[in-house]
Amino acid sequence: MGLGLLASKAIRPTTRLINFQNPNNLFLRTIVSKPELRNPEPAAAQPEQPLVDLSPRTPVGGARVHFPNPDDAIEVFVDGFPVKIPKGFSVLQACEVAGVDIPRFCYHSRLSIAGNCRMCLVEVEKSPKPVASCAMPALPGMKIKTDTPVAKKAREGVMEFLLMNHPLDCPICDQGGECDLQDQSMAFGSDRGRFTEMKRSVVDKNLGPLVKTVMTRCIQCTRCVRFASEVAGVQDLGMLGRGSGEEIGTYVEKLMTSELSGNVIDICPVGALTSKPFAFKARNWELKNTETIDVTDAVGSNIRIDSRGPEVMRIVPRLNEDINEEWISDKTRFCYDGLKRQRLNDPMIRGPDGRFKPVNWREALSVVAEVAHQVKPEEIVGISGKLSDAESMIVLKDFLNRLGSNNVWGEGIGVNTNADLRSGYIMNTSIAGLEKADAFLLVGTQPRVEAAMVNARIRKTVTVNQAKVGYIGPATDFNYDNQHLGTGPQTLIDIAEGRHPFSKIISNAKHPVIIVGGGIFERKDQDAIFAAVETIAKQGNVVRSDWNGLNVLLLHAAQAAALDLGLVPQSENSLESAKFVYLMGADDTNLDKIPKDAFVVYQGHHGDKSVYRANVILPAAAFSEKEGIYENTEGCTQQTWPAVPTVGDSRDDWKIIRALSEVAEVRLPYDTIGGVRARLRTVAPNLVQIDEREPAALPSSLRPTFTQKMDPTPFGVAVENFYMTDAITRASKIMAQCSAMLLKK
Amino acid sequence: MAWRGQLSKNIKELRLLMCQSSPASSSARAFVEKNYKELKTLNPKLPILIRECSGVEPQLWARYDLGVEKGIKLEGMTEPQILKALEDLVKAGQSLKA
Repeated sequence: MGLGLLASKAIRPTTRLINFQNPNNLFLRTIVSKPELRNPEPAAAQPEQPLVDLSPRTPVGGARVHFPNPDDAIEVFVDGFPVKIPKGFSVLQACEVAGVDIPRFCYHSRLSIAGNCRMCLVEVEKSPKPVASCAMPALPGMKIKTDTPVAKKAREGVMEFLLMNHPLDCPICDQGGECDLQDQSMAFGSDRGRFTEMKRSVVDKNLGPLVKTVMTRCIQCTRCVRFASEVAGVQDLGMLGRGSGEEIGTYVEKLMTSELSGNVIDICPVGALTSKPFAFKARNWELKNTETIDVTDAVGSNIRIDSRGPEVMRIVPRLNEDINEEWISDKTRFCYDGLKRQRLNDPMIRGPDGRFKPVNWREALSVVAEVAHQVKPEEIVGISGKLSDAESMIVLKDFLNRLGSNNVWGEGIGVNTNADLRSGYIMNTSIAGLEKADAFLLVGTQPRVEAAMVNARIRKTVTVNQAKVGYIGPATDFNYDNQHLGTGPQTLIDIAEGRHPFSKIISNAKHPVIIVGGGIFERKDQDAIFAAVETIAKQGNVVRSDWNGLNVLLLHAAQAAALDLGLVPQSENSLESAKFVYLMGADDTNLDKIPKDAFVVYQGHHGDKSVYRANVILPAAAFSEKEGIYENTEGCTQQTWPAVPTVGDSRDDWKIIRALSEVAEVRLPYDTIGGVRARLRTVAPNLVQIDEREPAALPSSLRPTFTQKMDPTPFGVAVENFYMTDAITRASKIMAQCSAMLLKK
Repeated sequence: MAWRGQLSKNIKELRLLMCQSSPASSSARAFVEKNYKELKTLNPKLPILIRECSGVEPQLWARYDLGVEKGIKLEGMTEPQILKALEDLVKAGQSLKA
């Protein structure tokens, strides 16, 4: 493009003269790239000719069409190929089904239709002008032509207009290489431009520490504006001005305070909105892509880690309709710089002077094994952290069980937790299933900070179905309409006993959903609260054969697998009487509870809170460096893949404990990851069904009700700071900036 | 049926694996629906982990002290037979202790 522009400028002074003399000089008077586009005639209705191949072609991206009502199917012709589509599809969608990818900038399948970029113009038979296919509904028998001179010229013209005010600074643009405008101007644009005037310039906006703006590059597709108001639910961005003065902005200088703001980077088709932390760090073609799973919350968003050498350069979302669609939260996207800070890279032992001394693995393991044998079995305690994978948790549990201890639990799982039935702690409706709901009761959960992607689903449901949302818990921020019913369990009892107006809403709803926050597992009276919730569920007919609306929204990536594996504390005060504490990535355990004389082993990847109390440090791999199984809050098992090598002398969590078991002379009977997974199969077989969601058929109502007194203390806030919840995010500088600038104080 | 109350003395953890829908697991599901409540009421501190996974053959596992485990395949068993199998596992735990 750039060369074509230069060439056209170089020949311009003479062009006009020659043109008048010789209007047929194709080379100099070219407006459009190909001679046949100069005077495009609308493609005439071709006489029926025997077409060679009318077999259906593969839709774009392997898309599948769902016919809500088979009677409403209509047939249209795309470039002569007949396709069946449901009523209400746009011309663009019909083309996609027919396997024709229409160029577009403003159209996005998850956002409302704006129709303002005009790039998707196609020719429709009997229509006098080309039509914007994204905004035109397909009609029965429509003959759509995407490959005619009219369509091509239209695209070329639109492209020329878009490039008029686009700076063409591709060499210094971070979008370079993955830019829609760049790609489409190569594919559909003219090979030269005719623009010699000054380009317009726009002042850059400050949207906060995450999104970098170069507003001159903006082509006013308004995707970001629609994303912010429709998906993220914040009315921060808007369109200001008209004509050439049109610009995207916040009107008054304001930061974008959404937990999903990073997604505007992905949907921006040009380099106007790019990642601030990634600015000028790498080119996208130098990066190695690893498809893996996010562990910063219990959603298990599908991500792609882009790395260069040993360094994680950025994290971008991956499409998974059942979990995160194509969005991820800002914490997921920008926590990666925490993977480079505060890392533990050598085994260390705290000397008598209180300082850590690096040692080799043999020494560290023998010290730990010796102490483990000196204490009584019931004085051994093991706690797995928020980011632990299923393999390491089962190995830790097996190891401590073999030493004779039963005190193994996962963080965020308190005493009295009943992990017997899976339906009692997973999201039974499934994340995608929430879209059917028409009433929500949120009990002690703030989904916006606990699981931003689940919150985005709820918001989608609220906007599409006009679902009613009732919330019990401390005052919090919602980005959709809700009723704040109360703060404590008393409100729950009111609803259970039918005294509260919201119980009517639940019983009248067709698909009611109750979501109990994962913070409940830390409450001593959780049985009583679950009993009250079960009562509401029973009265509202929330659990039936075709619909299970009773959900628990977990807080951490490791929680579902920890509950599946039975990592539940067996007795109260076991930590207070411990002599040997094994913290496997556990950084949010109350360290004051550990007795002064206890020997603490910390195994993990970050020098976070627990390291200050540790006697021995065993360095482990982070989620970006290992193969590990995680189960998300809806019971879907997924796996991480190593994107970068481990740091220093660190090892996979399960391997460390396996080696320790050998030194401690209670050798565990597996020594490969396959062996550990075979062991998982005998404990929780759903954990080896990778990428499958195993629903729980047995209802949680089977659980016996213990008469337990309900504590009237109001529900607490489970996540104080959305941006800093675990060892990785606490080590991240970007997350620290976000907490300082974006959190409402 | 006094042994039911003794479960938590001899066993550290009980695990039932089954499929959500297969006919092979139907008696295991019936066993849970009938007996789980009583077993749990009698042994409130004992984890009885019921894990459902499609295509899994029904199994009953007991974990004793020091990580010793014993498992029984439940395929083809009726619901009273499963109860009997559980009793055997409890007794096995008693003999392990002795």
